[in-house]
Amino acid sequence: MEYIVQMNRLTKKIKEKELISDISIHIKKGEIYGLLGSNGAGKTTILKMLTGITRPTKGEILILNKRLAEQTKSVLARVGSIIEYPVFFEHLTAFENLKLHCEYLGFFDEHEMKQALQLVNLKGIEEKTVKDFSLGMKQRLGIARAIITKPELIVLDEPTNGLDPIGIKDMRHLIGMLNKEYGMTFVISSHILGELEQIVDRVGVIHHGKLLNEITLADIRNERSDYIELVVTDVKQAVYLLENDLNLSNMKIIQDRKIRIYDTAFTPNEISKTLILHDIEIEEIKKHSNSLEDYFYQQINGGNGDD
Amino acid sequence: MIKLMRLEWKKLKQKSVIGEVIVYPLIIMFLPIFFIEVLNYDFGQSYAAVIELNFFIQMGFILFGASLINQVFIDEYKNKTISLSFSYPFSRKKLFAAKILFIAMFVFLLTMASYLLTGIVTYFYDQVHSIINGDPTFSDIITFFSQMIFRSLMITLISFIPLFYLGVWKRATVPTVIVAIVTMQSSYLSSMLNLNFNLVLVVLCLLGSLSIFLSIVTAEKTGEI
Repeated sequence: MEYIVQMNRLTKKIKEKELISDISIHIKKGEIYGLLGSNGAGKTTILKMLTGITRPTKGEILILNKRLAEQTKSVLARVGSIIEYPVFFEHLTAFENLKLHCEYLGFFDEHEMKQALQLVNLKGIEEKTVKDFSLGMKQRLGIARAIITKPELIVLDEPTNGLDPIGIKDMRHLIGMLNKEYGMTFVISSHILGELEQIVDRVGVIHHGKLLNEITLADIRNERSDYIELVVTDVKQAVYLLENDLNLSNMKIIQDRKIRIYDTAFTPNEISKTLILHDIEIEEIKKHSNSLEDYFYQQINGGNGDD
Repeated sequence: MIKLMRLEWKKLKQKSVIGEVIVYPLIIMFLPIFFIEVLNYDFGQSYAAVIELNFFIQMGFILFGASLINQVFIDEYKNKTISLSFSYPFSRKKLFAAKILFIAMFVFLLTMASYLLTGIVTYFYDQVHSIINGDPTFSDIITFFSQMIFRSLMITLISFIPLFYLGVWKRATVPTVIVAIVTMQSSYLSSMLNLNFNLVLVVLCLLGSLSIFLSIVTAEKTGEI
């Protein structure tokens, strides 16, 4: 297995406070890896360590099989990133910022710079100073900067922050295109689980600085357990009818008036029809599919996320 | 290293720095004349005395050094652009060394240029208005040029005193400027406290060197975001 990133037993302490505890993550070449976690879980700290911005207190990071340390940072020339939010020299123009970035990496190709701006749909802004840009434009410019040298690894921390729905969709397409056409590996953190779900191959769930679990999206889909959830006024009567009239047994009373039916032999229409015929008032009925969001809440809350 | 130093220049607010580069020497070059003509004729008792006076005046460039420390180090931390630099394939020690060399070169060359400019302006003014007793001797000229190099170097080193503690560690703009202003007054403070000024200068140069040394050596730890 060819790994592009190997984080082994990483720990980060600041003033005796452990922000990251003994985390090991291995990311395969060409993979799109998502980091999930609530605010303050430690996602950004992990990404900062991965991009050389901050040093781990313990553990090691290997990028393309080369150990990342202060004296061996040359491998970072093959990594593009946006961490926290896109930072620029605000008094410089968009083009000057890109040029500066390229010069630091010993790369200068005006055509590539223009192409990167086109890929993120930023045209005609080359000579504008960055301080006049909206957050969305900065985010796009940050992506352009990250991909300009076509690095093998791109690390994006909340890349959809500040983007409008069209921008988010564009971003998703861009990540997919770069991954497929150029074989770029992505490590992405996001709190917009729906977005992440559409692009990542595998996720790692971070909670209180610890890696709770890693799972592929394919596994989540395979484990999918659909259910129907309904809110009724009379739970006892409803359960009685479901058991006796529809022969349903795989169900659970979640709250005072909420029932979750895991048996998928009947559609919500058929269930509601049965209940209404017996004068059971239904306040809400809907079919759920286990999603990345459910998985995330299960991991964070030990399966009691919305109970 | 030269490439990194050149990139430091590109990152700066160049118009504001160029403004400082013009304003500082422009004010300073007339100060010896002002001191002699307005404050005390004794400053013009000989060319040797004026050369000494010139040194005290050029110490104003310590403030220019503080201004560069603010822009090259502290602003990068405050605007978080330092995280960009840390994500490039260069060690922090190398990045910090480039920043320090950039500031040092800038302060040193500008102080030298100002030294020369002030000397020339004062000399020609004296030729017209005769404000200094006597003419410059060959020995005065040699002293002037050797001191121009040596003392510009001293001013450069002294300007780094606030770098380590206030620049890299505490990242405090105003205290950096205050320390620079106090250091600029070292000759006045020395005479007030009855201290040997030459000894004070040596101590200040050592402090500046120590500050540079600590900034580079501890770059990984104190430079942490």
